[in-house]
Amino acid sequence: MTADRIFEGKPVLEFDTGSSRRKFLKMAGLVGVGATFVAGGAVLTAPTAMADAKMATGTKGDLDILNYALTLEYLEADYYAKGLAAGVLSGRELELITPISDHEKTHVSAVTDAVKAFGGTPVSKPKITYPAGAFDTRESFLKNAAMFEELGVKAYHGQVTLISSGDVLASAAAIAGVESRHAAILAQLTATNPFPAPVEGTLSMDQVLAEVKPLIS
Amino acid sequence: MANARDLIHGNLSEVPAPMALSALNNRWGLATAVDFGSDLDVLNYALTLEYLEAAFYQQGNSANLLSGDEKRYLATIQKDEETHVAALTDTIKKLGGKPVAAPGVDFGTSFDNRDNYLKTSHTFENVGVGAYLGAAGFIKDKAILQAAAGIFGVEARHAALVGNLLDLPAEGGVYMGAFEKPVAKDKVLAQVAPFLTQMKGSWPTGGVNTGGGSTASSQGADNTGLLVGGAALVGAAGAAALMARRRASDGADS
Repeated sequence: MTADRIFEGKPVLEFDTGSSRRKFLKMAGLVGVGATFVAGGAVLTAPTAMADAKMATGTKGDLDILNYALTLEYLEADYYAKGLAAGVLSGRELELITPISDHEKTHVSAVTDAVKAFGGTPVSKPKITYPAGAFDTRESFLKNAAMFEELGVKAYHGQVTLISSGDVLASAAAIAGVESRHAAILAQLTATNPFPAPVEGTLSMDQVLAEVKPLIS
Repeated sequence: MANARDLIHGNLSEVPAPMALSALNNRWGLATAVDFGSDLDVLNYALTLEYLEAAFYQQGNSANLLSGDEKRYLATIQKDEETHVAALTDTIKKLGGKPVAAPGVDFGTSFDNRDNYLKTSHTFENVGVGAYLGAAGFIKDKAILQAAAGIFGVEARHAALVGNLLDLPAEGGVYMGAFEKPVAKDKVLAQVAPFLTQMKGSWPTGGVNTGGGSTASSQGADNTGLLVGGAALVGAAGAAALMARRRASDGADS
């Protein structure tokens, strides 16, 4: 069973430029495991304050993490937009998935603003193409959505100890919690386990990239 | 709990909630008005909330109000909360702190029927999500932060799923917007105060059942906490693997 691979490893992502692609693939190397953690004692701010975060509090590592998150959010936002446009859902399922699509779009703009607020350059949206038939059925749409969500949750949790800024951490946590909600609902809709563990798992950037790399053409 | 009387002060559950809370908060680790002075303070705050949740599901699931998938989902949620209690308790001990005792609880009419049960559950889970996010900024140790974040995410899963079981509106019922919102400690306490009663002896159900009958040996192996081997970072992945194993060991009853 290849169900643990998004689209069974078929190509999905295509970057506008070779430089964007290289940037994405290099992310893992840019954020070392030894990154200093200095958020201790920082009072977390509301997510809406994200764009107001002081540039001085940003670090190179945080910017790389934000651009990594942005790439994943771009992928999720695009996926749901195309999936909903295909019109394969109805009733309660449509009601449950529509806000998810809105959330991912909001995450894209929030993370983009955060990258700018920290003095960085947001990565551009990758060109994304999906295997034929990806949105032909509710099963295909929801199954891959469920995998994206679990991957996204673990990707965020994998960065918790590497984020320096309390502001970035607060915003990332506020997003990650919403991704957890999505993951649980998608698991329920696809008849898999909404509570796979009592504590969210983590994946390092390397591990997430290993998952996503085969999808990048 | 209704007969939890103190001959001098009468039934504490009849005392206005804020007063009852201020009378009891030294014991329950809810003492400071605004803030957390240390990671241990945050952990004991979290432990109190997890004790509440674990007791809630123990009583609720015992009431046999659910069936089918709902029953299985809520059984897993109970185990998650019990695991959180055990992990927080062990972590507090490893850090040299003193875990707060389980609070006395009274969930009123929550278990009169399925809807009441799930509605109260939905409230608890969303309060828990906000509480963890509101406290996270006070955590200094990154291993503890990792674990707290990992618990926070699972509470968000619980909240969403129970909201969906209740067929609540997707936005504002299942999801609470594109960002989770932190809730300050005083607001969290105001929300849970109605369920706290005077402490009466030990934990109502005679101890937190973490399942599998392996608790004692696991603790002996020093691997049940958020931290393993003293200050070493375990990370949520390791903890999750451990806890999943623990849960799998009593999966036969679900």
